[in-house]
Amino acid sequence: MNTIKTLLTGTALSLCALPALAQQEVVWWDFLAGGDGVRMKALIERFNEEHPDIQITGTTLEWGVPFYTKVRTSAAVGQGPDVMTYHLSRLPLGLEEGVLTKITDEDLETAGLSKDDFYDRAIDAASGPDGDLYAVPFDIHSIVLYYNKSFLEGSRFLDDQGNLTGIESLEDFEEALALAKENGSQAPVSYATGDDGGTYRVFFTLLRQQDGELITDGEPLAGDNLEKAVRAIEIMTKWTEEGWQPEQAEYEASVALFTSGKSAFHMNGVWEVPTMTDMAEEGTLGFEWGAVQVPTLMDTQTTWADSHAFAIPVQGDEEMSEEKRDAVMTVIGWMEENAISWADAGHIPAYLPVAESDEFQSMEPNATYSSLADTASYDPRSEVAGVASPVYDAAINIISPAIHGYLDPQQAAEQIKSSLTDVMD
Amino acid sequence: MAMLTNRRKNFVVAMSLIAPFVLIFALVFLYPTIRMVQLSFTEGPLIGQGQWIGLENYRELLTDNLFYTSLKNNGYFVLLTVVPTTVLALLIALAVNRLSGRLQAVMLMIFFLPYILPVSVVTMIWAWMLDFQFGILQPVFAFFTGKPVPVFKNPSWVMPMVAVVTIWWTNGFNVLLFIAGLRNIPSELYEASALDGATKRQQFFRVTWPLLWPVTTLVLTLQLILQLKIFDQVYLLSNGGPFNSSYVLLLMVYREAFQLNHGGYASAIALVLFLVIVVVSVLQFQLLRAGGKRQ
Repeated sequence: MNTIKTLLTGTALSLCALPALAQQEVVWWDFLAGGDGVRMKALIERFNEEHPDIQITGTTLEWGVPFYTKVRTSAAVGQGPDVMTYHLSRLPLGLEEGVLTKITDEDLETAGLSKDDFYDRAIDAASGPDGDLYAVPFDIHSIVLYYNKSFLEGSRFLDDQGNLTGIESLEDFEEALALAKENGSQAPVSYATGDDGGTYRVFFTLLRQQDGELITDGEPLAGDNLEKAVRAIEIMTKWTEEGWQPEQAEYEASVALFTSGKSAFHMNGVWEVPTMTDMAEEGTLGFEWGAVQVPTLMDTQTTWADSHAFAIPVQGDEEMSEEKRDAVMTVIGWMEENAISWADAGHIPAYLPVAESDEFQSMEPNATYSSLADTASYDPRSEVAGVASPVYDAAINIISPAIHGYLDPQQAAEQIKSSLTDVMD
Repeated sequence: MAMLTNRRKNFVVAMSLIAPFVLIFALVFLYPTIRMVQLSFTEGPLIGQGQWIGLENYRELLTDNLFYTSLKNNGYFVLLTVVPTTVLALLIALAVNRLSGRLQAVMLMIFFLPYILPVSVVTMIWAWMLDFQFGILQPVFAFFTGKPVPVFKNPSWVMPMVAVVTIWWTNGFNVLLFIAGLRNIPSELYEASALDGATKRQQFFRVTWPLLWPVTTLVLTLQLILQLKIFDQVYLLSNGGPFNSSYVLLLMVYREAFQLNHGGYASAIALVLFLVIVVVSVLQFQLLRAGGKRQ
């Protein structure tokens, strides 16, 4: 109802203003409903205040398949938004669907940006196979390791300043888990074990830390990648067997286990940082917390990562007018320059002038884990990978039940391979 | 002559009366259906034109393991729901029929209430009641199996539980049909048979059952069609998992069309499902009718 009201007022306002000011209305769609959604709405409001000639009308849709389905169907008939948030992991599928328009160098110029302003990995992920840019990266987000200091006090895992230390291998980490269990932690490491995203991100991190690849040259888990996937599932299964991770935890439950002080560690996206910061400020958290880059548990330092980006969808058979496109690029440019407010939601800005600014460098805990941007592992570039893709389905359909003991890790990895092979044909 | 004009007039009136329906039917059902059949012979995406590839989609479907898994699960689900829900509805209807007045109305309302709920509300209620950590039904599972069961994440529990939820949700309508059927049986038949010394049991098998057979046939057929079209509950409760143990044909259509952008292939699956439903339900209806005649 509210959306309709906003839309109506927005339309009414822009109609009134049209003759006098030639105001541009930019229709904006995003999928940000949590703590970061609040921050994004604040950014949009600020933009609207500062720009009397451009008005953003924002709508928030449901994250995942519903969002991307709606984008595709509406863009195809010219009823889509003028600008939208988009996951870079989803770019290959977006290109196949033909919903994304090229972001040209002139576009970037209008926005006051250039390709060199961004992390290389983000620009790579935002480019098509032809090297052209199809989205403007906004952030890099990853999973990090949140920790509750109270379970580790007096152990070798906290340094003099009370920061996490000494976890350099899987053995170290499991020792810390066992210790936390002894100290009364109900589920020493919580993550969303009964959810696609949570399971997938931990699995992919463990796979990539062994230099494993999910998809190479169109073949899922080729060669010894299969064994590495087995190893990753074995580790996660062991954590269930030892009672170190919660059973069948949905996303909200996995967060609640940590915030209610039942988990010593929590593996989840940086987007939950505001939850912890807010609770710590209100004094409702009840323990001291920190967040670090996921330690090197296997051989290589890397973590699963993705980016939110801005993309301009096709407008059916029509071309977007020059003025409108300029307005959209102005919006994107402004958002990038003000990305520091977005970093407040835990994300690492993809825009280097902000990521390297003193303000961000002194922002905690972001600054502690921002080094992960250099070693981040994006999802494989494939039409079956990325947010709301068959890979995510495999996580909930195969990996999650397997780590709860319903299937042997070897068979689970083989099933992942065959199910992905099937959808790639 | 007068009669002829009259006839012609009647024809015009009749045509103009059914025209609105025919037009709307053609626009929103017939035309899309024809286009969908066309689409199933192409490799087209969800939106836009695709190349004509003849029967290739169907050929691919026959080698797709997921298709057979889904088909099997659809069959399993039909077994779990159609006959049980019909038997349950009959028992409830017989019980409710013995009540009278306001009490009967209240009982009927209680059984019918779930039917008016939207599917998302139904699945939400059950997902919470069966929640692994907080579900109020978990102590029951713990009592019988020794530990809580994550029912929608367990390959052997998932389909039966989706069936239970579905039966709970849709049973009210069947009860209503049976009540209507029971009320249509003249009470003289019971009086007459009682005079002849028929027991309650005999009355049921000689009077109620045969006279209720047409309604039973109807319920069974409606249920068969409905349950073959299972999608919402699976999508909302288990998403086809774990290990595809609740993967059904319509979920496959949805994933192919909306996730993978394979409009042509998805249409082919949908068409095959349509044919399966037509064949199975016609067959079932004929069989049941034949069975009814013998009695």
